[in-house]
Amino acid sequence: MLSSPESRAPRLPFARACPFDPPPQYAAARAHGPLLAVTLWNGKRAWVVTRHAEMRAILMDERRFSGRMGDPDFPSVTEARVAVDRNERAFVGMDNPEHDRYRRFFTREFSVRRMQALIPNMQVLADGLIDELLAQRPPADLVASLAVKYPSLVMAELFGSPYADHVFIIGCAVARHGLTQSPEEAETKARELADYVRRLIDAKEENPGDDMLSRVIADHVKPGNLSRDELAEIGAMILRAGHDTTTNMIGMGSLLLLRDDALRARLVADPALIEAAVEEFLRFVSPVQFSPRRVALEDVEIGGVLVQKGEGLFMSLPSANRDESMFGDPDSIDIGRDASQHLTFGYGIHQCLGQMLARYELQVMYAAILKRLPTLRLAVPLQQIRFKDDMQIYGIHNLPVTW
Amino acid sequence: MKVSIDRDKCVGAGQCVRVASAVFDQDQDDGLVLLIDATPAVGLAAFVRRAALLCPAQAIRIEGDNGGQ
Repeated sequence: MLSSPESRAPRLPFARACPFDPPPQYAAARAHGPLLAVTLWNGKRAWVVTRHAEMRAILMDERRFSGRMGDPDFPSVTEARVAVDRNERAFVGMDNPEHDRYRRFFTREFSVRRMQALIPNMQVLADGLIDELLAQRPPADLVASLAVKYPSLVMAELFGSPYADHVFIIGCAVARHGLTQSPEEAETKARELADYVRRLIDAKEENPGDDMLSRVIADHVKPGNLSRDELAEIGAMILRAGHDTTTNMIGMGSLLLLRDDALRARLVADPALIEAAVEEFLRFVSPVQFSPRRVALEDVEIGGVLVQKGEGLFMSLPSANRDESMFGDPDSIDIGRDASQHLTFGYGIHQCLGQMLARYELQVMYAAILKRLPTLRLAVPLQQIRFKDDMQIYGIHNLPVTW
Repeated sequence: MKVSIDRDKCVGAGQCVRVASAVFDQDQDDGLVLLIDATPAVGLAAFVRRAALLCPAQAIRIEGDNGGQ
């Protein structure tokens, strides 16, 4: 046993049994304890944290757990992800005090009031896309026509990246968030996106606009607090995050609405409930599958299990969000429940910087779909929906609808 | 109920403003938390407790809370 170099724990990632529920191994593991031993692509053992309380505690414990992606022990779900993790230069891959120093250059840009001020324009953009959809003859793919375009339009205006570039940006995000890419492809696309933002920075220095990139250049790059290369890496992170995650919540959320006529009728009758529906959908869908991650900086005992110094831990947000001890009847959708403690945006210092942007984007788009597309329905059987089992961020590849 | 904040810990996630905007705001210059009411009325107590619970940096402290009355 002691000489065995290979872990015999089950290999990550696991397959889903039902497209709407996390892999069944997580629920089985939660019944026994907060940790599940897994084997990674390289044969190394790591841990999946499955319970809500322990996950919150680990994500708050900066003394014993590091989120530094440059750490050689930092765990990755694929070999391709290792390359991009080691080269991560944005604050998502830093511990404090470094993390706070960089994150704070951007906190103002994502404040609640700033995001609230975007809502009227989000409504215009959502309505415009639905106008385009209605101008077509049904059926149409809701993912392509709404879920991909809408966050791209919002991000283009907020960040200052031309909307026409969204296909390129999404391609770079997919190369990083996929489960099937080669290390070379993932690394190349990471580099291309940072280079793209670097060129955008040059352009904004020449011709500043009313956008995040121009403001950060003026406020932090010009005074010498932030280098252009650092801003390029952080900008690439913001673009990836802003394009990929919300798209998946719009696609999956729309599918959930189409599968539940009673819920739709309730939300149409009382749109004030949409805010609660968004929180419950965030809990239920929980798109990010294999992050946040941490490395134990010392031996730590968690729930009777010893995690050794240098071992990696994956926070399974989908598992914590179905933790029976936190959410009653967790596998059902109930917009009346208190879903506010869901961990879909993470917890601790790395909690999603764009979470209010995402919330308002989803509230606006779900409201627009409910109001403008009252006869919307699936155009194909559920079996023809392609779920993103090939991605580290879950969702759907297509959603053929008619009206 | 007496509320205090630790701006050094704040990561500007905005949870406090989302759930208790009568008590918390964010600085327009740095996006970090501002306490606008350190002794909120009884009717706001549940929202302040919620904000403290959701704060990802645990930057909100509550003293003298009678626990929800």
